[in-house]
Amino acid sequence: MRRPSRPLPLLAAVVVLTAMLAGCANKPPVDDPDAVAEYNATNDPLEPTNRVFYAVNDGLDTVILRPLAIAYTYVVPDVVRSHTHNVLSNLSMPVSLFNDMLQARSRRAGDSLMRLLVNSTLGIGGVFDVATGWGWPRHDSDAGMTLAMWGLPEGPFLFLPVLGPSSPRDATGFASDIAMDPLTWVGQGEVVSVLGWTRYSLSAIDTRAGLLDDLDKIKGQALDPYATIRSLYQQHRQSQIEDARSDDRATVPAWFAQPRRP
Amino acid sequence: MLTRRILLLSATVILAVVGLPPSPARAQSLDQAAAFIEQTGKDIAAAVNGPGSPADKQKTLQAIIDRTVDVNEVARFCLGRFWRTASAQQQKDYLDLFHRLLMINITGKIGEYQGVTIAVGRAQPREGVVVVASTVNRPGNPPSKVDWLVSTESGSPKITDLIAEGTSLRLTQRSDYSAFLARNNNSVQALIDALKQQASKES
Repeated sequence: MRRPSRPLPLLAAVVVLTAMLAGCANKPPVDDPDAVAEYNATNDPLEPTNRVFYAVNDGLDTVILRPLAIAYTYVVPDVVRSHTHNVLSNLSMPVSLFNDMLQARSRRAGDSLMRLLVNSTLGIGGVFDVATGWGWPRHDSDAGMTLAMWGLPEGPFLFLPVLGPSSPRDATGFASDIAMDPLTWVGQGEVVSVLGWTRYSLSAIDTRAGLLDDLDKIKGQALDPYATIRSLYQQHRQSQIEDARSDDRATVPAWFAQPRRP
Repeated sequence: MLTRRILLLSATVILAVVGLPPSPARAQSLDQAAAFIEQTGKDIAAAVNGPGSPADKQKTLQAIIDRTVDVNEVARFCLGRFWRTASAQQQKDYLDLFHRLLMINITGKIGEYQGVTIAVGRAQPREGVVVVASTVNRPGNPPSKVDWLVSTESGSPKITDLIAEGTSLRLTQRSDYSAFLARNNNSVQALIDALKQQASKES
């Protein structure tokens, strides 16, 4: 048997070495408090390294993912794309449910559970999103948010190869989400693994297709797209966590006296 | 004597402003801000969905933005600490360019807003401004949560920021500018030149 060549680890090694040579960002001098405040607020001490990975990802995106996403929106009709999105979203519902529970957000866990049950059955495997109309709307929930609500600090901003904007906390969350996904552990053999990779690829294309306009706009209008994406990512994560934290809907049954809302 | 009078006066003013019970005034400013956004949303929807050529619509939309957004305040915020170090001429050039680019960026894609509706939610005070929550519906898109920051300082309400799905437009813009400045020796002139180039490219 021919030993397969392995270009990926080699590529990764080259990229990592280049990044390490690029090193860390220079901290501004202490006598410039405004600059120091800005440096701290940006929370990106690894900026030179991150920018290298941003350039790599941007290149990959330009030649692979963006054309795929454009082709996807051209070839596949709107309706099919939206149903595909529903199915993918339904497949990730168990992970959402586990995280809602780990975050101790009972109403959100209820929403996720009902979405999973209703959409998997009446929604025919998640093709139709029946649950939203019935009062179980979708929400964001992942292990990165769970760790944040457990008090784990975010850590410095990271721009990861392939995965994009992240942080040590979100990267840990990403790995945990894969680990707690039942579909990661169900079945084995070629068919299952092909299905698994199909799901990941479709998810990537679906997500990228949803960002086509926004990313094009950022790249066209921003003077520094990297900094803009960094800021958007940090703000968006912060707001997702805020939303989960402030979602303290009561779990009192409908027939019982309701607590007064502020 | 004079200083004492000033002290007394300022104490009275502070009491009047911070003063505990006059919440009717505050409630009024909340209602005013919510009504203002409601009206602005209606104006925008009417301008975008109404009849007329795209050029006409752009003009109407520009008039609405000029009337409802405190563009200069937003521009100053986006330049951040560099506003103070810029020369008077640079400040003027920057404000002009910022205004032009904002118009280009908002009105340039007017077709995208077709069929848009804005449902205004509750208004809440936050750090001297009023935050008006809303849900923006665009056909073919999931509804998005947009918060409008309204300042009532000058007497008439003005929009100072939009927070779309938790991301503040002016904060994002500021981080873009400050990153650009950091990579160009903190030169405001370099930023102005880059903006100039952008404005000529887009228009």
